[in-house]
Parts: sequence; structure tokens; C-alpha cells
Amino acid sequence: MKKKNVFLKNKTFLIFGFFAILIFIVAVFAPVFSGGIDPTEGDLAKAILPPGDGHIFGTDKMGRDIFARVIYGARISLSASFSVVIIVAIVGTFLGILCGYFGGAVDAVIMRIADMMIAFPGLVLAMAVAGILGASIRNAVIAISIVTWPKYARLARSLVMKIRNRDYVAAAIVTGSKTPYILMRYMLPNTLPTIVITAATDIGSMMLELAALSFLGMGATAPAAEWGLMLSEGRAYMQSAPWLMIYPGLAIFITVVVFNMLGDSLRDILDPKNE
Amino acid sequence: MKQKMKKMMTLGLAVTVAAAALSGCGESKAPSEGTASGSEQAAEGEKVLKFGCQMYSDGLIDPAAQINCAWNAMRYGITEALFKFDDNMNVVPWLAESYEVSDDHKTWTIKLKDGIKFSDGCEMTASKVKASLDRVRAEGPNGSSTPEKFLEYEAEVVADDAANTITIKTNTAYIDLTGNLAHPVMAIVDVEDIKDWDNGVIGTGPYMVDSFKEQVGYDLLKNTNYREDVPYDKVELLYMGDASAKAMALQNGQVDLVENITNVSDIQKLQNDENFTVDIASGVRTGFAWINQAGVLGNDTLRKAMLMAIDYKTICQSNTIGGLYTPGYSVLPSSLDYGYDTLQNPYEYDPEAAMKLMDDAGIVDTDGDGIRELDGKNINLTVVSYENRLLNDFADAQSQYLAKVGIGTTAKYGSSDDQWTSLVAGEYDLNQNNWTTVATGDPIDYLANWYSKCDSDYCAYENAEYDKLYEQLLEEMDGDKRRELITRMQQVLIDDAAVLVDGYYNSSMIYSKNVAYAHIHTADYYWLSTEIIPAD
Repeated sequence: MKKKNVFLKNKTFLIFGFFAILIFIVAVFAPVFSGGIDPTEGDLAKAILPPGDGHIFGTDKMGRDIFARVIYGARISLSASFSVVIIVAIVGTFLGILCGYFGGAVDAVIMRIADMMIAFPGLVLAMAVAGILGASIRNAVIAISIVTWPKYARLARSLVMKIRNRDYVAAAIVTGSKTPYILMRYMLPNTLPTIVITAATDIGSMMLELAALSFLGMGATAPAAEWGLMLSEGRAYMQSAPWLMIYPGLAIFITVVVFNMLGDSLRDILDPKNE
Repeated sequence: MKQKMKKMMTLGLAVTVAAAALSGCGESKAPSEGTASGSEQAAEGEKVLKFGCQMYSDGLIDPAAQINCAWNAMRYGITEALFKFDDNMNVVPWLAESYEVSDDHKTWTIKLKDGIKFSDGCEMTASKVKASLDRVRAEGPNGSSTPEKFLEYEAEVVADDAANTITIKTNTAYIDLTGNLAHPVMAIVDVEDIKDWDNGVIGTGPYMVDSFKEQVGYDLLKNTNYREDVPYDKVELLYMGDASAKAMALQNGQVDLVENITNVSDIQKLQNDENFTVDIASGVRTGFAWINQAGVLGNDTLRKAMLMAIDYKTICQSNTIGGLYTPGYSVLPSSLDYGYDTLQNPYEYDPEAAMKLMDDAGIVDTDGDGIRELDGKNINLTVVSYENRLLNDFADAQSQYLAKVGIGTTAKYGSSDDQWTSLVAGEYDLNQNNWTTVATGDPIDYLANWYSKCDSDYCAYENAEYDKLYEQLLEEMDGDKRRELITRMQQVLIDDAAVLVDGYYNSSMIYSKNVAYAHIHTADYYWLSTEIIPAD
């Protein structure tokens, strides 16, 4: 009962949670919101038309409806950024727990690999990875996951090391608990709140990084309706047909703000220090 | 104090210029690394042109190093060749006065213009011309300019300084060597006095290198030894790769003149702005996609249906491409005199007929995913393209049309290197590029791209009639008969649906009110010339 109140008491969380749900609904019911217009179908004879007249956001350079593309773009952006966050949270936490619990060689090897990843600026390394793998949204997800997991691994590791030598862990070992059981029962629950908060606040920045990769031609490929790619396609027309950039840009802005604020308020609520 | 300084500087500059003028032949200086920016040095009343252009091959200008370097040198107004192309792609004398050719087309005697000087003041003698032609071929194997394509290694050049002629004796008969000698690779340079081949080549053009800044551009000075009046004292040549950046630089006055804004909306905006003049010329470039016949597109029906599914006219006339390409269906531009009007296109846009053609041939969609299958496999064409002259837009647009008739595509867009690598390796179904069709005034090299016995037949195209016609073309010297052969060859390619033609690229030059006149030539070897004059 008390828990529920905490969530309801936080207005920011309520508001942005509502918006986030709204964005999800838009993504799931994209065909309904776009009025049944196919985001990849265009007519060259109607290329680069300004907003109005059947196309409320105008058309892009292939004559496709920008409104439909922005709506459908939510699908790719949300699914890709959630994939990244989930992958890195799981992989990073798992490896971090192993490091923290076993220490020694396991810790040294995994952490040195993590250090190597951290040594490069994230997006630059992601570009290199995406460049090697080839341009596609799946590869972009892999590329960003590869450069982001160390953050979670280090977090989980330090959290685990904090409790590794507590008496109750020693007691568990003495009473014959198996290692996997200890990891699942004692280590994981201890890391989870912090990891969840970090993951929630990361959704926005992952979205930006994915859009950045697509913008640079290393993420989604034509004719996918992806916001970063739409920005890149519209860049050449910035002066003469600004609607090509404004609407996907707004979509990225709004979504990132909503998920960042949601993550922040979630942190406020879950942060043990606030209790 | 400031005034005094300015006076001193002007005086200093005057002395330097005078010294340079008096120093005479061979006293070339290596280009400085550009410590002070050009505009700071500009004296009052000095006419300065600021020119924004694309950087190719890092701005190097040694004609023997790479084709692009040769183009750079000629485009910047640094080098000239013995002959040049007029806007109808006819070869006309440039540094040459006239020429004679023997009946067997193996001995070419070229009379040089009198009184031509290199920018270092040296006389352009017959011996110097010989040295230049010999040097580019001697250096040929060290670079990628392929001078042997224009003049064979075995050819002997004999100089007669007294008569001011050179005689070129070749083993193979050249149909028209003058067209080959007009290519920028064959530009005449002062071999003896050039110290910096990368950025300090000395030619006979109206401008000469003053300084070069890596990734930034050149400062060019008027060639005081030029045979005519040179309209500008100085040219600041600035590299800008992005089409929008070029347009914006022009709009805010950072440059006076730019070449090839490849962005329709920007061009249209400038066309509608009375402060700018846009000069567009139908060039000699064809944008086209290679069709790899070693892959799924080896299927005749599919290839023909594919061409019928694409509305090439609407694409070229759309807001996306409009004006920068002229629609067409043959590999040679309609503006050239190779009988475009007599050609028949059996595969005009007709999506219904395209679908029927595939339905009848059993190329249908059986699993209901919207993509047709051939031999039980979904048709998914790999479309390779790169960011150049709207090629990616063409690829996107064509893919969109193909999707409508149930032909799937996967875009593989990368750099020009990626495009070339995949072309040579045959790892593509459609491969976009943009070619100069008549580099030497004749399309024979370009048409070799579909000659099955040639290395450059990268699309595995094979047609016995085409091969025969090509072989005849190699031997034929008569202009009219050549034209007939070339027309027929185009028709064979069209009938076989061998090439997906995007259209014919139109080059452009755009200038502000600071420039009174500029012009883009059909052959885009010539950018800076004495034609470009300042407004008063």
C-alpha cells in the first residue's frame, strides 16, 4: 500500500509515465494513427510537398507521407532502444556479478575487456563496429550494446563486492548453498534496483545514439521509417524544405525528453537514499 | 601608423610581384604552406575570385598521379592541353595551332601556337611539349592516370623546335588522337622546372599556384605570362564537399562562384533569387545502374519487367531530381550526336504490363509476402550506390517503384570505393554510378563496358551482335559509319534491357552578383577560365 503511494505521489512520474504510455500506444497502433497510409509507399510526382493538403507534415523526397513515417518511426526507435537497454542490462549485470563474486582471474579478464571498451568514445567505437558489421538497425543495436555493457558490468560488480563478504553470504556458503543459488538469491536482488534505475535513465540516450548511427548511415537503411535516417535524408533540404527535418527532429526530442524525465523520476522514487 | 604599415605592405607586394615578373623562366617557387590568409594580403583594387568547389583526390594536381589530379589541374585553370573540347564535344586546337595526320592514322604532326609561355615565364617549346608527353607516360605505371589509354607507351614523340611542331608516331592507328590529347591527363606541363609535383605543377593556364592549404584549398595567382588578359588577380579556391554548404557559402557571400550544387531544392532556390545566376549545361555524363547478369537479373523476363516498372521520366522530373538530370533510356546522352532520336525503347513505363510479363513467366508471389519468387526464392535485389550526383536518390526511387510490382530490394549504400569494389567483385544486382561517356570525345572506351571480351564488362553482359559491332567500331575510321555503329550498339543494349539508365547529368555553375559571367562547359574539365569575369 505504501509503495503505491510513492508512485502516485510523484507528479513528474505520473505525467511522463502517461506520455510514455501514449508513445507506446502510438507505436503499437501505428496503422490506426497514420490513417492506414503505408510509410514506405511514395509517389515521386508528389515529392517534397509542404505540409497541408492531405499530408499534414508534408512529403519527403520520395513522395512519402512524413506524418505516417514519424508515427511508424516510433516502432523502430522504441523497439531498438529497449532492445539495447535490455541486452546491456542483462549482459552487463551478469558479467558484473561474476566479476564481483568470483574476483581474481575472472574479474581481471572481464574488467580489462570492459576497460578496453571504455577507453574509446562510445559513439566512435559504435561507428567502427557498425561500419564493420554493415548498416542495419540490428547491427546498430549490437554495436551500441557492445560499447555500453561495461557501464552495467562495473556497476553490478561494485554492488556485488559491497556485499560479497557480508556474514549472511558466508552463512549461505557454510550452510551449503550452491553458487548459482547465491548469485540469484543474494547477489542479483542487491544489484537490481540500481541497474533498473540506470537502465530507465539510459533509454533516452540510447535512442539518441541509435538515431545518430542512422543519421550517419550506419543504422537503419532506406526505405525504413526511422527518425535518424529521416533527419539524414532531409538534411540537404534544410533551407528549402525544413519540414523534412523538423518533424522527425521533434519526434526524437519529445520521446527522448519523456523517457529521460521518466527515468529521472523513477530514480527519485526508487533511490534508497530518498527513503 | 596603420596607414604607413599598409603603404609599406602594398609597396612590398608590388616589389615582390615585379621581382617575380622580372625573374623570368625557371625561377619557379614551391607553393608556400599558406601562413597568412589570402584576403589579408589582398591589396586595394585587386580583383579576387572566391570559388567554392568539391575536393577530389586531396587536391593534388600532378596529371600523372591520378585521373582526378589531372582533372584538378585543368579545372583550376593551371594546366592546358594541346586540344580542347567545345560545348558540342568537338575537338578544337588549344595550345596547338593545327595538325596533320597521315593516311594510316599513325603519324600525327602537330603545329604549336607561337609565343605560349608557362606560368614561370619559360617558353613552351616543342621540346618542352615532348618532355611533358614523355614524362606522363614514363610516370604512368607509378600512378593511376592510365596515360597509355590516351597515347600508347610505344608512341614516339619527335620535337622540332625550329618549326615549332611535334610529330607523334604510333604503332596502332588512332581514330582521332587529338581527342585523346585533349584529355586532362595529357596536359602540357613544364617538366624541367616543377619542384613540387603534388601541389606546385606549372602549366600554361591563366592561373598559377601561390599556396596550398591541406583540406582548405588553393590560393591561385594570375599567370602574368598568359597570352590573354586574365580577369582576376587572384583566385581563392575553397574546398566544400557538401552541396548545402556550397549553397550557403554562396548566399552569405563567403564565395562568389561554386560548381555543381547537387541539391535540387538549393539550386531551385538560387534560380529564383535574382542575386544569383545559375548556369546549367547538359553534360556528357550518364547516371546508370549496372545490371549484374551473373545474378538473378540474368533472367531476361525479370530484367525487362524491372525496366518497365520504373518511371524514369517522373523520377527525373520530380522535385528530388528535377533539372539536374535529363530523362533518357540509352547509355549515351540524348544531347550527343549518336542518334538518340532514332532509338526505340520497348520498355517504357508500364507497371501493369510489367506485372503481367512476370505473371506469365511464372514469377509470382506464392507465399503472400508481397515479393515475387524466382526459382522458389524471393527476389531481393542488392542495390549498391554511393553519395554522388543524387545516385542514392535514384536508387531509393527505383526501389520504391520495384516494390510496387513485387520486386524486393536491399540498399547497400557506401563510399565510392565500396561501390567500385562491389562492382569489380560482381557482388551486386544493381550498381549505381555516373560516367563521363565521351572522355576523349568518343564513346568507345565507355561502350567497352558491355563488350564481353573486355575486362571492364563488370556485369557479365554478353551479346554476339554487340561484340561484333564493337570490333567493327575499333577498326572504323569514318565518322558517319562510326555514328551508325554506335547507334546500333545503343539499340542492342536497350533491346536486351542491359542497363538501367537513370538519366543524363547536367552540370552547373552558380555565381553571385560579384561575377559578371561564368559558364559551365559540356566537358567538365574546364572550371576556371578567362571567361569568368568580375562585375565592375
